[in-house]
Amino acid sequence: MSTNDPQQQQMIRDAMKAIAERKPGRTKLVYDKTQRTIVAVAAGTQTPRALNITADDADMFAVATLSSRWLREHWPQIMRDRAIAVPFSSWDDGDAFAQCDLGVQPSPSIVQGAVLLGDGVDPPQGTQLRVVLTATKDSSPDASAFIAPDGSSHRAHGWRGASGREEPIDTCFADVQPELATRRAGIFETTVLNDKSVFCIGLGTGGAHAAIELAKCGVGRFMLVDRDRLSVGNVVRHPGGISQVGRFKVNVVRDLIHEKNPDAQVSTYPVELTYENRETIKELVSQAGVVICGTDNRPSKLLLNKLCIEAGVVAVYGGAYRRAYGGQILRVRPRQSPCHQCFVAMMPDAASDLEVSSTSDADDIAYSDRPVAVEPGLSLDVLPIANMLTKLALLELLADKPTSLSILNRDYTAPWYRWLNRPEPGTEYASWPPLSDSIDEMTINRWYGIYFDRDPGCSACGDFNSTIAAEYGLDLASATLPSSPAKDH
Amino acid sequence: MWTSEQHRRLVLENEILQKEGFTQFTVYQDKAANTYYASGVTSSNSGRQYRLYIPIPSGFPFQRPPMYLTQPFPLLMADRRPVSSLGLSHAMHTLPPSSEGWVQICHWRDARWHANILLQKVFLKGLIWIEAYEQHLATGRPLAEFVLTMAEGL
Repeated sequence: MSTNDPQQQQMIRDAMKAIAERKPGRTKLVYDKTQRTIVAVAAGTQTPRALNITADDADMFAVATLSSRWLREHWPQIMRDRAIAVPFSSWDDGDAFAQCDLGVQPSPSIVQGAVLLGDGVDPPQGTQLRVVLTATKDSSPDASAFIAPDGSSHRAHGWRGASGREEPIDTCFADVQPELATRRAGIFETTVLNDKSVFCIGLGTGGAHAAIELAKCGVGRFMLVDRDRLSVGNVVRHPGGISQVGRFKVNVVRDLIHEKNPDAQVSTYPVELTYENRETIKELVSQAGVVICGTDNRPSKLLLNKLCIEAGVVAVYGGAYRRAYGGQILRVRPRQSPCHQCFVAMMPDAASDLEVSSTSDADDIAYSDRPVAVEPGLSLDVLPIANMLTKLALLELLADKPTSLSILNRDYTAPWYRWLNRPEPGTEYASWPPLSDSIDEMTINRWYGIYFDRDPGCSACGDFNSTIAAEYGLDLASATLPSSPAKDH
Repeated sequence: MWTSEQHRRLVLENEILQKEGFTQFTVYQDKAANTYYASGVTSSNSGRQYRLYIPIPSGFPFQRPPMYLTQPFPLLMADRRPVSSLGLSHAMHTLPPSSEGWVQICHWRDARWHANILLQKVFLKGLIWIEAYEQHLATGRPLAEFVLTMAEGL
């Protein structure tokens, strides 16, 4: 509303309500030729007050949003009973009402609404918000228009409040999936990711962000693994908010995925990847189109690496360096590119320069009597890495489809990518030139693809036994192990 | 439970131990219990004897194998307390003891372990730990002072 004066606001409200209801009122709207705008004039006052009404005032009515699909699915019941109860989330002191079925995270304030078929139908007891559908021959597309499964057209009119003191509200229908797809159309076929599956392990800032970004892209199935709960300290970086503290991250991220793609199938596993549950994880990995690893735990990464190679599933491993001064991503195409074991064995320092972002990370690298502090790091420094992680995962999911993104396959050919947010003192990058001075030198804020070869003697993707036997001049063909002596501890 | 790949790896590990002069250690297969382990008695430079024991975990070589010092038992510190009473200890380079109370020597932490590391190197770290332990007994100073950081590049 263009004015903050409550009295003036009420005048505008009364006038617009009167017009909406086509009734004369004490306040009326007139066209002011001198100002070339519509003004509201309060009748009966000694000094009539005229108010400029701007486009903002068109939003002065509250709005109720209903799911078209839900209404179609419940149409037989509506036709039979002429009325159906619908709970709404009430937001912003009743400024917006969203049908609870639209999303998984309702408002703390729920109002009982009802959809009524035609005027004169009594709403259920306690109804605070009425949406009346009126049959019409006008089938022009409009936010308040609804086409029923039987082909009949209806206009919706809404009122809120108790009987006798009702106010009109705008009503609109949301056809969620088609409307969500409009911003993706033209980049790739909008339904192409519906049946794609992503396995995400490690739902810290980066992993959670990647999962949610893929939900925005339209990925239809997620398998989420993380043993941790969301803590207060996580909130400044994690997509989950302070009201989610204490929940398992898998559940927080599941709900955030559903807020972006309500039809996504999400299965959650609040566990750590260990050798004890590797068969379960192996089964999940085998169902995935791509695996996203956001954990900084080396044993988990190397086990996952092994499972992905066995299953022939592409995995992308992302991580931030200490204090998130940069980060790196490794993409492993089984038996085509170096795997994570190749990476660790050939570049142990690069593989271990990882952020300590949680107490569990700290515990993993510390002796218990020598605690390691959780290191600071900014969300904005983690997100470039998470975005790249997502993009590489997306390209894998779209690998068999021609899309506008296919051109990137000529760019992202390296197995290993590095990114620097800042030339952190004490690191090899401290002497990098400023961004503004650099022409060919490496600088901050650029992705660098790095090529290295597979290790033919890799214990995960190569032939370790034969390679090492050859190095040591051993012939294993006839070699055996001795049996255990009676007591040998 | 065990794959043929794991069995071949353990055969390789044993062959390397024998060929590289670590003949006091052997990898055994306990067919009755369907388990594998590596163990052996070794002597320190001073001539004292110690038994090292590595039960092979089901996830080997991707899962880090623990290394226990099972004899002498209990293993005492300079102040006559059992080393195992420390549990995790940076000063003595130990991880949690076994349920039997055997001292677990920290060779590689989980966060640094990977599948290309050979048992020969694990036993080598055990031998270094034993020498450092005897220096601890002689001086009373923390074992960690004598090994500094057992570098991954050993």
